[in-house]
Amino acid sequence: MVKINLKLLKKRAQKEIAQAGDLKLLNEVFKKYLGKKGELTFVLRSLEKLPKAKRKKVGQEANELKNYLKVQLDQKIVAIKERVKKETEEKEWIDITQPGKKPLVGHLHPLTQVRKKTEEIFQAMGFTVTEGPEVENEWYNFDALNIPKDHPARDLWDTFYLKGGLLLRTHTTPVDVRYMGKNNPPLRIITIGRCFRHEATDASHESNFYQMDGLMVGPDISVANFKATIQEFFQRFFGKPIEIRIRPSHFPFTEPSFEVDMTCSVCGGKGCSACQKTGWMEMMGAGMMHPNVFKNAGLNPKNWQGWAFGMGFDRLAMMKYKINDIRLFYSGDLRFLRQF
Amino acid sequence: MVFSYNWLKDYVKNLPKPAKLAGLLNLYAFEVEEVKNPPAGGSKDWILDIDVLPNRAPDCFSHIGIAREIAAITGLTLQIPTAEIKENKDIKTKDFVSVEVKNKQACPRYTARVINNVKVGPSPKWLKDRLKVCGLRPINNVVDIANYVMLETGQPLHVFDGEKLEGKKIIVRFAQKNEKIVTLDEEKYDLDENILVIADAKRPIAIAGIKGGKLPEIDNKTKTIILESANFDSRIIRKGSQRLKLKTDASWRFEHGIDPNLTESAINRAAFLIQKLAKGKVAKGLVDVYPQKVLSRRIKLDLNYLERLLGTKIPAWRIKDILKRLGLKLKVSQSQSMTVEIPTFRLDLSIPEDLIEEIGRIAGLWKIKAVFPSVSLIPPKKNFNIFWEEVTRNILKGAGFTEVYNYSFINENDRRVFGGKELIEVENPLSVEQKYLRPSLIPNLLKNIQKNQRYFNDIKIFELGKIFRKLKKVEEKRELTGVIVGDEFYQLKGVVDLLLHGLGISDIYYDEYQATPEESKLAIWYPQKCAEIKVGQEEIGFLGEIAQKIIDGFKIEKKVVVFDIDFEKLQRLSSEETIYQPISRYPAAVRDLAVLVPLGTKVETVLNKIEAIGGKLIRDIDLFDIYEGEELPQGKKNLAFHIIYQAKDKTLSSREVDEMQKKIIKTLEKNPEWQVRK
Repeated sequence: MVKINLKLLKKRAQKEIAQAGDLKLLNEVFKKYLGKKGELTFVLRSLEKLPKAKRKKVGQEANELKNYLKVQLDQKIVAIKERVKKETEEKEWIDITQPGKKPLVGHLHPLTQVRKKTEEIFQAMGFTVTEGPEVENEWYNFDALNIPKDHPARDLWDTFYLKGGLLLRTHTTPVDVRYMGKNNPPLRIITIGRCFRHEATDASHESNFYQMDGLMVGPDISVANFKATIQEFFQRFFGKPIEIRIRPSHFPFTEPSFEVDMTCSVCGGKGCSACQKTGWMEMMGAGMMHPNVFKNAGLNPKNWQGWAFGMGFDRLAMMKYKINDIRLFYSGDLRFLRQF
Repeated sequence: MVFSYNWLKDYVKNLPKPAKLAGLLNLYAFEVEEVKNPPAGGSKDWILDIDVLPNRAPDCFSHIGIAREIAAITGLTLQIPTAEIKENKDIKTKDFVSVEVKNKQACPRYTARVINNVKVGPSPKWLKDRLKVCGLRPINNVVDIANYVMLETGQPLHVFDGEKLEGKKIIVRFAQKNEKIVTLDEEKYDLDENILVIADAKRPIAIAGIKGGKLPEIDNKTKTIILESANFDSRIIRKGSQRLKLKTDASWRFEHGIDPNLTESAINRAAFLIQKLAKGKVAKGLVDVYPQKVLSRRIKLDLNYLERLLGTKIPAWRIKDILKRLGLKLKVSQSQSMTVEIPTFRLDLSIPEDLIEEIGRIAGLWKIKAVFPSVSLIPPKKNFNIFWEEVTRNILKGAGFTEVYNYSFINENDRRVFGGKELIEVENPLSVEQKYLRPSLIPNLLKNIQKNQRYFNDIKIFELGKIFRKLKKVEEKRELTGVIVGDEFYQLKGVVDLLLHGLGISDIYYDEYQATPEESKLAIWYPQKCAEIKVGQEEIGFLGEIAQKIIDGFKIEKKVVVFDIDFEKLQRLSSEETIYQPISRYPAAVRDLAVLVPLGTKVETVLNKIEAIGGKLIRDIDLFDIYEGEELPQGKKNLAFHIIYQAKDKTLSSREVDEMQKKIIKTLEKNPEWQVRK
């Protein structure tokens, strides 16, 4: 009797496992056969009532069946879990076209951003970033830079004077003299700072603006060195190959002096409206530091030579972001500032 | 300055075409602004608008000067016209005029000639055309020739009617106080002791180097003319021109300086042309008051230095060729040096670097190859100002603030609110909007809000920039100011905390704002909604709501809360160091506590009490809710805290925690107005 029961039991259990559609039903099957009051458990418990000879044989068969059912149940659990996972994955979805939720962050002024980039490039070439006061005296702003009083050269810098005799610096070049007065060459410095010019404002002129000044001094720093350094700067800044061209100019604080052109960043030198079809863009004034400026800074011009340049910094940012009006920088207009 | 292409062609054979010429000048000498044809009806010519560099004005504010430049650049031959005048032996200059120069420094040289029997009339067409191309209006042959020679040589000339001079005298002197002059264009000028004049025996007849007077004007009846070709001190002419607010072609040239040796050739050239075109007879003798003749200078050029400065080698033969083309004379040539004589018309060349520029320029600066410098590896110094500015900006950006840059100026209205005795006034402001240097960043930030409120509801902006005050001396310092629109004091306070923690500052607290008597008059802050931000004992700035009156004045619709921090102090307190606090290995227990207190009770007072009891066993107290409402008794608010208990050295049992909590409640309730809610 017991023997037949086991065979039948196996068949029934197999069928029920196969039919159980979810984990709950499967658990019922487990309870029915292998639970505390399960049929197979009952068989195993009643073994001791059997005669010794039979007990061994039936016991072996019942235990084999028990292990067999356990494996079957486990496999079925895995299969159901797999299926449920698959079904859920098919059902759940995200509308990937729905707009994301942006964390609210602010914006740094475009001049701050361009300034950082510029300072990083020059720092990578060993330049120290320096600063100086915005309220200057005549000595540093003019006299020390070889621009004497009552000289027409002073007309080139329209100046805001303050009551009491000081003035607002018209360029960052005074910082060069201040720095050389306190630090011995060889030196490499870059200064980006606010300057002021007493001139009417329009799309390309502001009474408040930023200027960048660079200075490199050593025993043998040359025009050729200037070209290489500044070309490297522009190439890194604009991220493309750029040529530099220098032409004669005049500044009281440099000799020789030159204007610096670079290949037009818009057309790459072919000629377009941005460069008035010349292929070149005028970028800055530069030159080899005048011996008088070295003297005024307390250095002996016989021992030192070097180049200096000055350029409108707002313009660099305007070129980078294609901004057509310098006044936007100082407008505080959030419609403008939130674009950066 | 504008130049006539045809005129230049007279001096340089095979002159390149106008566009090509402009290109060459651009690369080797001066920027050419424009090449254009004269207006319709004018002569067939090209006008070159050349930006002569200011140091080259002495020799290049002239057609001969530009022609000389072109010849040097191109290697073409320069042909300068000669002037062969025929003096008439029967008439003698000294019978017509005598010249006295009172101040030799103001007038280093004065040359004059007399021409008799001139026939004043219109100039020939070619002469009129050239003047017109150069922007001058033809007047009569005599005056036109004087102007023509100025455009040709760069030497300003003047012509007087010899018969109109009082006492046959020309005196160069400074004007006396109260002297007046009416100029050729009928304008009246009051003169003074700073203005150099040309006078006859009685009165000024011209403002020296600037403009002629009406009295001795040339007219159709003029028979005898006195030609003046003089040299005046550039500073004196510049001062006079500025004082009288009168700029002329002559004053412009004189203030840039002119070679005193030019007067003679220019006057002879003018006399020659007048003789030819106005049929005059040139009297015998040139008046020439020239006490101290200017001689040519010499510059010694070190060829190694030239190579070291330009960073390129220019062969000696090429240097010699360039010097020759520029009209500079090579006096001594050695293997490593050259001594060069500089003609007096090159006022700009005085030091070796000037010569190096000339050589580099004509050889072609643009040809110099880029070479990286070889220098010692000296790492750049860290700029802490810029470093801390950047950290600050990034924290505020992360907190949702947008950075603005405002003008460094404020206007009269701002002065009334923000000004004081320390305000710095601009001597020559561009407009009333820019009359003072900003003593605070607040006014311009408020203007930003006013302009932006139409477009944005949430405005959070900041500026980090210089402000200016006059104490013992002018002081400029960096200020950091942020504004937020709305009733957002606590949000902004949170931002200040975030910022200060980000800068490594921990010892922060907020103190009652104590207005000084002077400040109380200004009253920009809303009373009792303003705090001093303190670190340790030092006040570093303010946090508060702006007074309603001020907000109204700036036409701002909502409330505005501001933090205004002295950035110099802030940076001094900032630190990059963060020290790790060990995380306790023992568990924390959290208990909540709600206490009903009067509306006027400060949170800090309650917190201090709790902390005093809890001591080291309380890790943190978190105020998670403040509630005021109808359900609560009148005049009360409910403060709800999470108190986090944790010891560093053991696990706190729940009995220990509960006892501590009970002790806290008991202490709080000692205050009869406080009631712990259970």
